[in-house]
Amino acid sequence: MKGKSVLILFIALFLVSACRNSSKNSSEFVFPEADSVPVGEAEKLSAEAIADISRNIASPVEIANLLQTLSVPFSPDYLASSVDANNQPTAFDKALALGILGADLGYLNMYEKTGTSINILSDIRKLAEGLKVGQFFDFEALKKLSLNKSNLDSLLFLSIDSYNQIDKYLRENDRGHLSALMIIGVWLEGQHLATQVARQYPDPILKDRIGEQKIILNDLIMLASPYCTRDSEFDSLCKYLQDIKEKYREIKITYTLGEPVSVEKNGGLVVEQTETSNVEMTDAQLAAITEVTRNIRDRLVINN
Amino acid sequence: MLITMGIMTYGQSSDPMVGKCILNAGPDARYLKDFRVQLGKGPENGEPRFRAQMSLWKNTKYRFSMCNSEDSEGKLYLYLKDDANKVVLSSFDQKTGKTYSFIDFICNKSGIYQLSYDFSGGMKGSGVGVVSMIK
Repeated sequence: MKGKSVLILFIALFLVSACRNSSKNSSEFVFPEADSVPVGEAEKLSAEAIADISRNIASPVEIANLLQTLSVPFSPDYLASSVDANNQPTAFDKALALGILGADLGYLNMYEKTGTSINILSDIRKLAEGLKVGQFFDFEALKKLSLNKSNLDSLLFLSIDSYNQIDKYLRENDRGHLSALMIIGVWLEGQHLATQVARQYPDPILKDRIGEQKIILNDLIMLASPYCTRDSEFDSLCKYLQDIKEKYREIKITYTLGEPVSVEKNGGLVVEQTETSNVEMTDAQLAAITEVTRNIRDRLVINN
Repeated sequence: MLITMGIMTYGQSSDPMVGKCILNAGPDARYLKDFRVQLGKGPENGEPRFRAQMSLWKNTKYRFSMCNSEDSEGKLYLYLKDDANKVVLSSFDQKTGKTYSFIDFICNKSGIYQLSYDFSGGMKGSGVGVVSMIK
């Protein structure tokens, strides 16, 4: 029995490793042929591997930061304002909405839109309490920090830390499916934000960032895969992720080699990477990704 | 005043060393993640023992800050490897023996990177690695 468990763990770790190293032997990133870990094995992925996957999802704060760098103005139109925290019947709905609103909170925080962020915080509180994880949010402190614009970094820390604690707690208490939903919600909303902004403010850097999501898409699918047969809601979600993946299939990510360059500055070290990743994506491919993302996100938000 | 408020806020939800290390990253840095590292004595010239992964994105400047507790016997250092297992940066200079407390990294290749932390000389220690992005 023990030997069998070790073998299963080895297979699962091998598959994770195969996904990770897909770009090693060529100068192009491709989806691994085995698109996902078989259901039985994926459920036995080590806690460490799952924690790694959850850390690999781009933070919505990073996307918001990129938008600010590109001088993209804030717009409330990108927010999931139709999510009604009082009307989330299932744990599935609550966890997914918690992720979606978490991404919106990151966007609002970065643009220091305190009024709206307090409203979202109130919705997040309801959802978190509905999932019995409200104890990980210090709402009063978050509210105070939202009103005090000079403490943006503290606000980011407290928000991200709260989500990380929930994620960890759910995974450690046999509610990994809810943790996966939260992470998928964060990613989907970040992706929606990036693609919608790119439609209005086309920029090659933003376009690249959208194309580069191919790198982590397989991880997201792997995170969801143990639960695809759990119920009809998960079944649909897994199909949605596959739909997104299909739109990414022909997008090429290539690499050019180079050695990092280091210089000492102000007592620290500055390292510039000369190795680069390059995305080859047509406008039609971007449009297809934008459309599939919007359809899925809207379907999930409206269902909520 | 603001610094005090910052420390108090961080202290409410986590240990003070994390908060202090985030503040040390500087006002131009935006917090992304932290890694709490606690290690006993290990081999002097071994591979760094604490490992984690995170995605880093092209066209972003990251700051990796390393902080130690006062009772740490060694200094916390970081190795960053890309997904081809190539060392991209190290905060420990093996030639000079110098350990940098922070490194700014101009990322030009998006991907999943491995962060490996340990204390100099494989000594025991307690510390925090904070990852921020620079505006």
